[in-house]
Amino acid sequence: MEVWEKVFVKDAKFAQSTHGMAGCVICHGGDSTTDGKESAHQGLVADPSEKSCSSCHNDITARTSLHATLNGFVTKLEARGGDLSEGSLLATAFDNHCQQCHTSCGQCHISRPDEMGGGLVSDHVFKPPSMQYNCLACHAARVGDEYLGNNEGVPGDLHWTRLAMTCSKCHGEELHGTEALAADRYGNSASAKCEDCHQNVLANTSNNPQHEQHIGELSCQVCHSVSYKNCYNCHVGIDDKGIPYRTTEPSEIDFNIGLNPEVSSQNPYKYVVMRHVPVCPSTWDYYGADLLPDFDLVPTWKYASPHNIQLNTPQNENCNSCHGNPVIFLTEDDIGPAEGEANQGVTVDKIPELR
Amino acid sequence: MKKLALVVLGLVLLMIPVMAGCRAAPVEQASSCVTCHSNKDLLQKTMSVIEEEKSEATSGEG
Repeated sequence: MEVWEKVFVKDAKFAQSTHGMAGCVICHGGDSTTDGKESAHQGLVADPSEKSCSSCHNDITARTSLHATLNGFVTKLEARGGDLSEGSLLATAFDNHCQQCHTSCGQCHISRPDEMGGGLVSDHVFKPPSMQYNCLACHAARVGDEYLGNNEGVPGDLHWTRLAMTCSKCHGEELHGTEALAADRYGNSASAKCEDCHQNVLANTSNNPQHEQHIGELSCQVCHSVSYKNCYNCHVGIDDKGIPYRTTEPSEIDFNIGLNPEVSSQNPYKYVVMRHVPVCPSTWDYYGADLLPDFDLVPTWKYASPHNIQLNTPQNENCNSCHGNPVIFLTEDDIGPAEGEANQGVTVDKIPELR
Repeated sequence: MKKLALVVLGLVLLMIPVMAGCRAAPVEQASSCVTCHSNKDLLQKTMSVIEEEKSEATSGEG
């Protein structure tokens, strides 16, 4: 997107909209009484979301969006003993490398996120997030590629390939959070669930022996998702020009069933799909040694919901696709030498027996 | 009575300029912002090129 396109309001009728009639300066500051660019932009606030939206939309902005708070990151860093207090080494690192995924109201509803270079998505019209310009700006590497079928040899999600469902068809109000700040997306009581639409699957299992046997014990993805990316060894730092950088090893496409580390009333499953996360003990070494002193308290294989749902998968071909098949389970053999202790609670020690 | 009439007249005379001075709060000239920002040619002429730097050291999935 060209620089001028980012601020181009194609349809001047915006001025007659509810937000338009409030006046540009009310939210953005600046001076609308002058024609000169420099003088008009004095005191301009490009993204006024943090202060302006709450004046009318306090019922939404007062909630606890994980996109706004990045509490999912915070939870895991603090659980590993990270000190995120103001001015700490880890807080500095967090600001340099993690905050780029922070979104504001505007970066979901009006413009592209800063991470994607900003710019109005559709004039200045306030809309649900665009899958292409908003969601995939940040969620491309894993869930985006899985959903769209961009991983070589792995089909895209049926919800996209057959129904062309965009992200907001499933992920709506949950993104604003709820009254209670969730530790992560699985702790968000409003999170999208398969049964939000597929109630009949839960209600009627009599014509499906696999459902009859396994619903409630296995997450849906255990049987209905396929291989997905797993990432390793992320390291961050500042380069010679003072620009933050990160490196990760090439991702690996794999599929592993492990033990649910976040059993709850919402997610009561014993077995879930596990994805490897790229954090390692030396991830933050550029900023200081041992910034995650309790690294082993949190698994490096996490509960995942790969967005590549299929009706028929290798797992549900027959019972012994999983039963008696250690390859499909996350076992000690799959755990790297430095990660054994961290993942003790999620590896499957006893493979379900052959049927 | 005469005094009362003079007082009333004085009040009326005072009210005239006051009421003339009452205006609705000035409506922001939003057209000034939108006038520029809906003018493609003007935006292209006045745009500032901002180089967003990504580190060459970055590699792998984000």
